[in-house]
Amino acid sequence: MNTLSPCKPVRLVSKGSFWLALGLISMVFLPLMPGLYRIGVDFVQASHWLAIWQDSQTKSALIATLTSTIMSGVLALGLALSISTEQYPLKAWQATVKRLPVLLAMPHAAFAIGFAFLFAPAGWLARAITPLAGWNTPPNWLTVQDPYGISLGIALAIKESFFLLWVIMNLLGERYIAQQITVARSMGYQRQQIWRSIILPQIGPRMIWPFMAVLAYSLSVVDMALILGPGTPPTFAVLTWQWLSDTDPQLQAQGNIASVILLITLLALGILLRVSWWLYQRFALNFTGIRQPNRISVMSRLYRLSVWMSFGLMGLIFIWSLAQSWFFPSLWPDALSIEAWMSADFIPFKTSLWLGLSSSFLALVMVLIWLEWGPRHSNAWLYAPLIFPVIPLAAAQYFTLLHLHLDGTAIGLIWSHLLWVLPYILLSLAGAYRQFDPRLMLTAQALGYSRWKTCLYIKWPLLMRPILAATALGFTVSIAQYLPTLFAGAGRYSTVTTEAIALSSSGNRRTMAIQSVLLMVLPFLAFGLAAMVSNWRAKHRRGLR
Amino acid sequence: MIKILPVLFALSLSSAAMANTHWNKVEAEARGQTVYFNAWGGGENINAYIDWAAKQAKQKYGVTVKHVKVTDAADVVKRIKTEVEAGRIADGSVDFLWVNGENFKALKQGKLLYGPWAESLPNWSYVDLKKPVQVDFSEPTDGLEMPWGTAQLTFIANQVTVKNPPRSAQALLAFAKANVGQVSYPKPPDFHGTTFIKQLLLELNPDTKILQQPVNSESMTKATASLWAYLDQLHPALWRKGNSFPKSAADMNRMLADGELKLSLTFNPNEAANLIATQQLPKTAYSFGFSKGTIGNVHFLAIPSNAKSKAGAQVFANFLLSPEAQAKKADLKIWGDPSVLAIDKIPAQYRQSMQMTAPGALAEKVPTLAEPHSSWVAAIEAEWLKRYGAK
Repeated sequence: MNTLSPCKPVRLVSKGSFWLALGLISMVFLPLMPGLYRIGVDFVQASHWLAIWQDSQTKSALIATLTSTIMSGVLALGLALSISTEQYPLKAWQATVKRLPVLLAMPHAAFAIGFAFLFAPAGWLARAITPLAGWNTPPNWLTVQDPYGISLGIALAIKESFFLLWVIMNLLGERYIAQQITVARSMGYQRQQIWRSIILPQIGPRMIWPFMAVLAYSLSVVDMALILGPGTPPTFAVLTWQWLSDTDPQLQAQGNIASVILLITLLALGILLRVSWWLYQRFALNFTGIRQPNRISVMSRLYRLSVWMSFGLMGLIFIWSLAQSWFFPSLWPDALSIEAWMSADFIPFKTSLWLGLSSSFLALVMVLIWLEWGPRHSNAWLYAPLIFPVIPLAAAQYFTLLHLHLDGTAIGLIWSHLLWVLPYILLSLAGAYRQFDPRLMLTAQALGYSRWKTCLYIKWPLLMRPILAATALGFTVSIAQYLPTLFAGAGRYSTVTTEAIALSSSGNRRTMAIQSVLLMVLPFLAFGLAAMVSNWRAKHRRGLR
Repeated sequence: MIKILPVLFALSLSSAAMANTHWNKVEAEARGQTVYFNAWGGGENINAYIDWAAKQAKQKYGVTVKHVKVTDAADVVKRIKTEVEAGRIADGSVDFLWVNGENFKALKQGKLLYGPWAESLPNWSYVDLKKPVQVDFSEPTDGLEMPWGTAQLTFIANQVTVKNPPRSAQALLAFAKANVGQVSYPKPPDFHGTTFIKQLLLELNPDTKILQQPVNSESMTKATASLWAYLDQLHPALWRKGNSFPKSAADMNRMLADGELKLSLTFNPNEAANLIATQQLPKTAYSFGFSKGTIGNVHFLAIPSNAKSKAGAQVFANFLLSPEAQAKKADLKIWGDPSVLAIDKIPAQYRQSMQMTAPGALAEKVPTLAEPHSSWVAAIEAEWLKRYGAK
């Protein structure tokens, strides 16, 4: 049931354009096959399964992974929905949305580093309490790296709630949802009931894929889990990564299978999600006409707290990058200095810049061609990289690049990033693109414009805001790639992310903070620029606002 | 006898001349090459030193050196292996790498190393052969890797909180029990964590000879029984009751600075001095060792068999082995990594920085214990993970 598409569009597609769209996309995906085949070979061997089963780390690692994943998914959804329920389409919503790009742009690794700065036993929060508690040494808190992955789950939940809210914001872009709320309000219904019964059933089906992406990310995240997750044993994704990077071929095979286990876990969660959605539609929808009062929403308060906390983290990282010596229990550094900044290495910054720009631009061109001329109903498999653990895909890409002698080249590197950049751009653009009023296209074509010209002069300019936002997202995705950059780049290209993570094992908080600041700056620039251009173009065009 | 002397003399001369022309050829071939040097990138001071050495190599020999910063040498070993398996036997992505122990063993066993080359470098003549520069974790180097620096397990404490540091395994246990929750070690297979376990093993095991032999299940059971008994006692007194461990030695230094831990450890006797200078440790930090000695070893540089710029890598290696580069490396203000050269063989101008000391650095004489055979590493790590890896 897709209530949002007003009518079936007329299709005037030439065969050539169709094959062009398919060919471009295949170039990104098909070369993975040989590497994936190798994983499949390991998959059918029982001895490897037995080894995983017998490994004492497996069970606890899976528990920590499931805890953090389910926690992050449920909490993130709760946070994002509660704040939208409370605020959309009021004035406060505009303010919330305005803050979103900054929060969204903050890379996961940087967020985790800031989270640890704040909550670790010797972190800033403990330091703030120390004068009251009278501690001499850092408290024996079990905050970061707790054995169940709870702190990892909370950090992921906060970070992913921004992504889900951004998805919701894009889905609410259509004016008639605001109208529906106004109508329902005028009939005496309260916000929470309106959302439960009217809005959610409409946007719900379209939130399933983004939500699956959130689950997949939490399930297979490595960088955040290294910083905030448990150590004995680590989360299952980290364990998989450790096995895959071991020199022992037996453990590598184990890693191959473990990545398939991650995928199976995700499928199970997906089924659970479908069942929950079905149950929701079956039992939670209530059209009795009884007006129910709003309940007090703890979640929306928590969301506001998370927002301020996230800004606080950024500030904390920035101060750390300038701190001279800053030991527990000092609340402020003894001295600030830009000395460390003067000797900071900016080459990774430049590498990230050209890599992010070229991969997101290429992916955008491919996505636009695909959406316009590609097959209409087989997009699901393109989202596979979002729900497939990164590790085996990166290894499969590397396998191909190696045989083509393209590893360690800029072309190979950009190609490897496309696999993740492209689906994210597609994901964030497809909704708005499919909702585009086909009558405008039809009118333009009836006036003699070719399909290509109609797109160039009418459709794409009108879709400029979602297109720019999607490109900025693609850029951010490229910036955050760690394993693909390492594999495909043969370690020769260091980006801000690989640099920050390489330096994070140094334990020097100042350098780590500098790299985190650099890591944050690039996406901020991208989203900032996208917003600025959109607003500038919309200045005198009401329909684009 | 007298008759053959001139012949011998002539022979030795010609071999010297041959060596010379050989090296001239290597240098000529190296000019213009690019060397991708895969080395751990987690230390700012080390990165800065490599940067300096790269500039020198460019200036003096026309060799471009690019530092590929790695987190774990095992990743590089895996990459080389994958490349060779995929048929890239001449055009590999790694020209030169920083390696030792089990990673060296894996490369040597897999016939993935170029050489022998190390002992025919012109600067080999400065190397202190009394140091274990030709054995890597009981595995002969066979000239396949070049010694770069020496290391010794060293503990760090803070004068303010620890006046009398523990100087043996048993004293450490008593210390941990007296300071519950304030002692820990990095989780194996972290390099420092494994070294700490090996240190305990050497001290708790009366028969250290079997540790120099390859491990088998019998010697494993016999040698490690006392170690596990010790750890079973130690762990309840550790930070977070041994349910969680610091991620790395660097992480422990930070926790020491914050007062979260009372002891930290390092493999560089000068690291504490360096950390004090960069304000990552308080001025009251100091280094100490166990009185019966601590594990010491040498770290090496190797060239993969599929390296593209083998000549360039050798020329860069030779520069890194020069008294000039080694003295700079030993300088506490630069890196503070102890040299592999013999102090009496090198020109006088370089001796001073090799004998430098600074507040915080290891001031006492701690005997050096030899590493167990490299095969023990994997066995101990696997058993440790089985016993303590999942709590």
